[in-house]
Amino acid sequence: MTDQGFSVTPPVVKARLSRDDWVMRAFIVGIGLWLVVTLLLPLYAMLSKSVQSKDGTFTGLANYIEYFSTPALFNSINNSFFIAITSTIITISLASVFAFVLARSSIPFKGFFKGAALLPLLAPSLLPGISFVYLFGRQGVLKDLLGDASIYGPIGIIMGEVFYTFPHALMILIAAFSIADARLYEAAQVLRTGRIRTFFTVTLPGIKYGLISAIFVVFTLVITDFGIPKVIGGQYNVLATDIYKQVIGQQNFEMGAVVSVVLLIPAVVAFAVDRFVQRKQVAMLTARAVPYEPKPHFWLDSVFFIYCVVISAMIIGIIGMAGYASFVTFWPYNLELSLNNYNFDVMDGGGWASFYNSLKMATYTAIFGTIIIFTGAYMVEKAKGFKAIRGVIQFLCMIPMAVPGMVLGLAYIFFFNHPDNPLGFIYGTMPILVIVTIAHFYTVSHLTSMTALKQMDPEFETVSASLKVPFFRTFLKVTVPVCLPAILDISIYLFVNAMTTVSAVIFLYSTDTSLASIAALNMDDAGDVAPAAAMCMVIVATSATVRLIHALLSRGLQLKTQAWRKR
Amino acid sequence: MSKDVADQKREAYLRVRNVTKKFGSFTALRDISLDVYEGEFVCFLGPSGCGKTTLLRAIAGLDIQTHGSVFQGGRDISGLPASERDFGIVFQSYALFPNLTVNENVGYGLVNIRSSKAEIAAKVAELLELVGLPEQGDKYPSQLSGGQQQRVALARALAMSPGLLLLDEPLSALDAKVRVHLRHEMKELQRRLGVTTVMVTHDQEEALTMADRIVVMKDGVIEQVGTPEEIYRNPASAFVAEFVGTMNFLNASKANDEQILLGENLLNLDEAERQKLNGSPILACVRPEDIQVRNIDDATENAFMTTVKDLEFLGSFCRATLCYGDEGSNINADFSINLVRDRNIIPGAKIRVAIPANSLHIFPADTAK
Ligand SMILES: Nc1ncnc2c1ncn2[C@@H]1O[C@H](COP(=O)(O)OP(=O)(O)OP(=O)(O)O)[C@@H](O)[C@H]1O
Ligand SMILES: [Mg+2]
Repeated sequence: MTDQGFSVTPPVVKARLSRDDWVMRAFIVGIGLWLVVTLLLPLYAMLSKSVQSKDGTFTGLANYIEYFSTPALFNSINNSFFIAITSTIITISLASVFAFVLARSSIPFKGFFKGAALLPLLAPSLLPGISFVYLFGRQGVLKDLLGDASIYGPIGIIMGEVFYTFPHALMILIAAFSIADARLYEAAQVLRTGRIRTFFTVTLPGIKYGLISAIFVVFTLVITDFGIPKVIGGQYNVLATDIYKQVIGQQNFEMGAVVSVVLLIPAVVAFAVDRFVQRKQVAMLTARAVPYEPKPHFWLDSVFFIYCVVISAMIIGIIGMAGYASFVTFWPYNLELSLNNYNFDVMDGGGWASFYNSLKMATYTAIFGTIIIFTGAYMVEKAKGFKAIRGVIQFLCMIPMAVPGMVLGLAYIFFFNHPDNPLGFIYGTMPILVIVTIAHFYTVSHLTSMTALKQMDPEFETVSASLKVPFFRTFLKVTVPVCLPAILDISIYLFVNAMTTVSAVIFLYSTDTSLASIAALNMDDAGDVAPAAAMCMVIVATSATVRLIHALLSRGLQLKTQAWRKR
Repeated sequence: MSKDVADQKREAYLRVRNVTKKFGSFTALRDISLDVYEGEFVCFLGPSGCGKTTLLRAIAGLDIQTHGSVFQGGRDISGLPASERDFGIVFQSYALFPNLTVNENVGYGLVNIRSSKAEIAAKVAELLELVGLPEQGDKYPSQLSGGQQQRVALARALAMSPGLLLLDEPLSALDAKVRVHLRHEMKELQRRLGVTTVMVTHDQEEALTMADRIVVMKDGVIEQVGTPEEIYRNPASAFVAEFVGTMNFLNASKANDEQILLGENLLNLDEAERQKLNGSPILACVRPEDIQVRNIDDATENAFMTTVKDLEFLGSFCRATLCYGDEGSNINADFSINLVRDRNIIPGAKIRVAIPANSLHIFPADTAK
């Protein structure tokens, strides 16, 4: 400090913390620790495992060198990228047109088409794989369409991935198309810009960020997906199945860790690009735009309509095929319908108990996950000071998005199954499944919470403080009720994902805690494809029912609170 | 200024001492000292970004100052969190809880300190009565007009009978008519309750009509503190003169120790203004309504000839542009409609005007704007 003259810098005022501040900080530290224990330390354990030999001594990059000198292993990198890039191109092309039609045309039945397109969200990712076995497999109904090609391999994987990622891309792209500013279109019309030129000068720049974001989201989903290549990949290896094979098949945990790190890299890069792009998109959203009103155009609308019918029919057909196959007594010899395949208790995989486990697990995840994530987001958003720690937590909350489920699951083995870990007792129990699922789906839930919280007047807490009301009363009496729609969204998101997830839990279940999606996988593995399809259908039905209840609840809530919610 | 003398004898209720607030390397408040007396209504007035809200939030303990201290009722509250201070606050957004009824909003803080439901209900009813909103207690904020919401926020801020009422642009979200109406109501209410009040505003009219004293701020420092009258009549700087009311800024120069030269006219200065004379170019300031036309004779001080260049009708009065010399030597004067008619003031007319010495202020030319 170079003080001029003799002036002395006055002392810096030390702000005294209120009880509220202390409580909030305690919560923040709690959330921080939670994230460290359920995310950071497991990932660290995995990273360190990848540079260790079997007996736990540090070997530097030896495992990596071994990996890259084994063609059977590193070929999977090529395969994974090939699958991911091809699937991304197809999904984005199909979904862009679909989103464009839904957002920018005036065809009828848009609601139905959108609902159909979002159906894959309700299913575990192995469902399309199973369905394709029935459609294009050795005894498939449409086998001839493929000619000499086999569905078991890249073709099947890519088709399955397109089915599975379509709704994810669609949601992002619809959002991008919907924020189009009508004024730009009017301007283009006034200037007599042609349709094609308008598309390239107005539409494309408008959805640029949404498009990039969708590309990276789809890419990440595909490259990290495990269910589809597992069911229909045949001898075609990808990174996600390699992890499984190394760990479950060969008990080579170190190599599993190495493959995990290799898989982590593209996922992290894609994630980073996506975050960067989303930040720009938000800035565009906040500018007040006039919504675009599509005008009818007969020929174009007819083509669009047919397109939507075809896509919706394919999606419903794929789910329908699995549904039909699940009722067929013995494919393809006895096509009589029966419930035999639903008699899970006589089969390997865990029986109906695994379904009840799934229900339990999804319910716990929805309840505890919502509480932890929403409360955490609230504290991080509303606390004063503590900047560095809050920043770190914000960062930690973003990590799960970039971590493939397989990788997280394997990381949990290394961390929680370590003999020195005092938390080891949860290994193989229901709580660890709940915890890993919460961690796996943390990011989206956290972002939803943040969006809702940012819409609250920042002065609510200030007013409470001036009225000497502790913040948690305001949190319970005002914040939670006002954010209830978002809170419901989060819990339903967690529930459905917990029902359908395979990758994060595949390494962590025990015989007592098998889950429906895992049972389906194991039954398929054992050759019981029809029962696997049946189990998938049970999951789809459960997710759909819960979604329906959620829709009714939301509607009821809207009616009940419309007195104070602004229209 | 007998009021000031009286003020000096009693202890200020709110004392701000050498408060500096830094946001990183940016200094939002620079060494602010200020006294607010019990029962007083003080306005912080200044352009956007001058630090009014920052000062208010420091007083409330919401963003604690980097250096300096704040005393309220003799208690050092410099580092205390908001919840341990004694104030009620109204924000521009009102921050009413949307899912709670008006009654629940107003009674929000009472639940904590009073036990009986009946007592709370009575107090809430009394408060709503006070702000002129009886019978509206069961509605939700979104069912009320902006002005009504503002009153609910005020009632909520007053519910705990705070020693200090802080208002951050409480009226600026309202349309002009409601604003003028509420100004009077709020001022009246404040007088009746006698609650010490600090209000932030960037609307000079609001400050002039409501405040007992105005604190004019600029770039994180206080430019002037005074009653509305003092601020208006005797602005301490060219900035204050420009910011409050309308003001002519005229280029002039020093003629001698008592007079300045405006164009070719010698103008006398008041005793106080003479002190400010030095060699440099001068800005002479006079308010348009202070320019005199009636009863001017040869003995009238500071009189000179002008030509009417333009006349603008502004409703209850006319604003004339008068030229007192060469091109560009213009001065605005406000004349009543009657005067314009009586004196037949039309563009092109020559009229003799005078600037009374006590309405004439000078500032160094380089401090303009
Ligand atoms: N949290 C903050 N971080 C950094 N700078 C800030 C912060 N809050 C205020 N400032 C800066 O301090 C200065 C004063 O801000 P303040 O909000 O007090 O202005 P104001 O006088 O209330 O203006 P307005 O009339 O626009 O409300 C501004 O330049 C503002 O950009
Ligand atoms: Mg302000």
